[in-house]
Amino acid sequence: MQTTRTKSDFKRNWFTMTSLVSKDFKLKYRRSVLGVLWSVLNPLLMMCVLAAVFTNVIKWGNIPNFPMYLILGNVLFALMADSTSGAMTSILDSAPLIKKVRVSKMIFPLEKVLFQLVNFAISLIAVVIVMLIFQIAPTWNLLALPLLLVFMLLFCSGLGMLLSALAVFFRDVCHLWGVVITAWTYATPLFYPIDMVPEWLQAAEVFNPMYHYVTYFRSIAMYNTMPGLQEQLICLGIALVTFVVGLLVFKASEKKFILYV
Amino acid sequence: MPENVNTTPLAAQPPVFADDNRATMVKVDHVSMIFNMASEQLNSLKEYAIALARRELRFKEFRALDDVSFEVKKGDVFGILGTNGSGKSTMLKIIAGVLEPTKGTCSIHGNIAPLIELGAGFDLELTARENIYLNGALLGYSKKFIEQHFDEIVDFAEIEKFLDMPMKNYSSGMVARIAFAIATVIVPEILIVDEVLSVGDFMFQQKCERRITQLIKEHDVTVLIVSHNNDQIERLCNKAIWIEKGHTRMLGSAKDVCRVYRVLGGHVGSAEAEEHVFNLLNEDVTVPDDLIDVIGGESRYGTATRLVEKCGFAPGGSVILAPGELASPCMAATGLSGVMDAPVLLTKPDGLPDVTAQALSQLQPHRVVVLGSEDIASERVVEDVREACGPTIEVTRVEGRTAAEIALSLYRFGQQQGHWGSTAIITYDGCTGDLISFSPYLFQKKVPVFFVASNGVVGDDTAQALQSGQFSRLLVLGGSYHVPDAFLEACEARGVRTQRVCGNSAYHANELINNLMTSGDIEGDGISIDRLIVSSVWNPFDAFAGGAYAGKTNSAFLLADPQNLDSVAHALSYIEKKEGAVRHLTFLGGDTRFNKLDRQMLGKAVVKAMRANQKDS
Repeated sequence: MQTTRTKSDFKRNWFTMTSLVSKDFKLKYRRSVLGVLWSVLNPLLMMCVLAAVFTNVIKWGNIPNFPMYLILGNVLFALMADSTSGAMTSILDSAPLIKKVRVSKMIFPLEKVLFQLVNFAISLIAVVIVMLIFQIAPTWNLLALPLLLVFMLLFCSGLGMLLSALAVFFRDVCHLWGVVITAWTYATPLFYPIDMVPEWLQAAEVFNPMYHYVTYFRSIAMYNTMPGLQEQLICLGIALVTFVVGLLVFKASEKKFILYV
Repeated sequence: MPENVNTTPLAAQPPVFADDNRATMVKVDHVSMIFNMASEQLNSLKEYAIALARRELRFKEFRALDDVSFEVKKGDVFGILGTNGSGKSTMLKIIAGVLEPTKGTCSIHGNIAPLIELGAGFDLELTARENIYLNGALLGYSKKFIEQHFDEIVDFAEIEKFLDMPMKNYSSGMVARIAFAIATVIVPEILIVDEVLSVGDFMFQQKCERRITQLIKEHDVTVLIVSHNNDQIERLCNKAIWIEKGHTRMLGSAKDVCRVYRVLGGHVGSAEAEEHVFNLLNEDVTVPDDLIDVIGGESRYGTATRLVEKCGFAPGGSVILAPGELASPCMAATGLSGVMDAPVLLTKPDGLPDVTAQALSQLQPHRVVVLGSEDIASERVVEDVREACGPTIEVTRVEGRTAAEIALSLYRFGQQQGHWGSTAIITYDGCTGDLISFSPYLFQKKVPVFFVASNGVVGDDTAQALQSGQFSRLLVLGGSYHVPDAFLEACEARGVRTQRVCGNSAYHANELINNLMTSGDIEGDGISIDRLIVSSVWNPFDAFAGGAYAGKTNSAFLLADPQNLDSVAHALSYIEKKEGAVRHLTFLGGDTRFNKLDRQMLGKAVVKAMRANQKDS
């Protein structure tokens, strides 16, 4: 009885979430000529700009397949940045709904993460294009990608739930998060090689979750290596801890949302 | 003065319903909802820290609901009544599971259509088709269910042609139709309806109501309805609760609650006044039809003509035409009306209103007396009079630009027409309520009214007229600020007895004057009263031309404000004090002034007072 109920609840929430995702998707590309093509074009163009700047103007590093290096980091980081930013304001944005309809509040941050995951999936086409251009052969290691996405999903959902709950009580979070994301972009080796930064910073990267995930992504897509068990566990651990913390904070505060939104 | 809204429970015992063996669907058990007003505005860390430091965090509490309990059984249609801001919607939100009560519990048995306001969750950028799926999903429908019922929703909402148009281009009525269609396509066990029926045109409102009735009748759905339209509640519901400022005022059958709410709901007044009214409301007294009379036209001009029609003036006499927009000349005309035995009709400054013109042509007067100079009643009015009564009509103008001037020339004109009584009244321009109370006396005893030129200043001519020896008595309405004591002393010196009439409120003055008129205290025998003409305090112009009617029917005026319970209670006790002397009631103005229940209330008081009197004698 209990399980069927949970199951039907889940089914209901899943349908709601997919409906919301399809709504976000439609709204994002409504009235643009190229439509969904932008999800592919955007990372490609971004990669071109960055590659042009860093190979011709600043001229550092001699990373092989630098464009590939760039696009992998950027695409994965964008998944984290966009989904957490979207999730953060999701509760506030759906205030009219929360005030009037009894609906599981957790679907709002989770839906935003799901939506960005769909976007990410589309932007993988850009990655494929780059692989074709630079003739990087895919390997069996790529099969670990779903595992990485599970880690990312957990990590982003946890962070998103935490931020969305905090944003309800302190609107400051919304302003602060943009700065944090920018700092994080520079702190993560997205467009520079890790050995370019001072040693203390290299040591500190161990505590940067995004460093782990970006490195993971590059390993399986570029370097043809499968991360070791320890690395896998670290990635899983970070994801799980973030998710649980986010979930607990969200659950503890969700009843008060309606009084503050 | 702070508004006094009573929140105490009206019925001491919670009513016991006979059909209690049905399953309980909603059980609200001692629910309180407290909002922390201080923390509502704290939206930044800085504000939070400051408030924390000042220990203000838990201060200002706002109790939206205070210890409310009720049960809704299966198949009930339960109405929640209350004025704006009384906690109705908070209650519904708690039942719908959107809000958690601060104290108490609210248990729901059965699936509930989780919907408070229609159209929540619509994204106006999307098309109707997309929104139906989205909204359905938010309401908890499965995709299959929506697909199955899609056509049904579209049919009900009548939007086939616009399905693929973004909803931002829809009219608000169309949006409401879709929302209602989606919300009610499912047959829930509990349906919550929050003022939804107030959207859309009346055709759609009827359709919504039919759908709700269908759900109730055919599917035995339990329904909760929030509304401040108590007609709707009475029509649809079987049980109701009245919540005022978060407190339960009354719980019972919809019929009872609506009846009480209609008289007491949203009205201000002291607790004693309310109890007085409430007790009478619950008494089973039948009011005979002929006891209550309603006289009202579409405007003050119409009301004036109706009053004149009721007086039965013979055709061919004189008619006084007073400026309907100026109170004081109208009241001064009442005395002249008594002297000449002529009716008073009202006119607009720039022409004769149609109703007045019709009344004139029926009365066929040989003479019309127009009050005021041309800026008060223009030449156009005279032309209109000639058009209505024929060119041979004699039109006399009583000149004057201010109330004091008109009153004086009116007095002089009256002297040529007949005899004034031996009492006069002096007051200030604006003392309308008191003059209305006096108007039956003005008519019967042919009392002229004079006005001070300005506050504290009595014009020379006016003083001369008052002290000429014509009058043995002068009634003064207003304080010494309006009519100075020195002038009263001067009058006394000339052998005119003076008396100040001053009440401490409009209602008190009204009663004082009525008592004064009936007691022989004024002069000789007072007038007798067996009818009360009830006029709204806020619309005194209904009574501008009522002096003749009141004088001819032995009536007194009763000023009342049906919205104010103190006023109603005052009127009730006044009728009781008359010990059965009052036998008829006439209400001035249409239903907007006094509704049927207001009239019934006073009628009951009259019947009761007459009965009590019969028992005594």
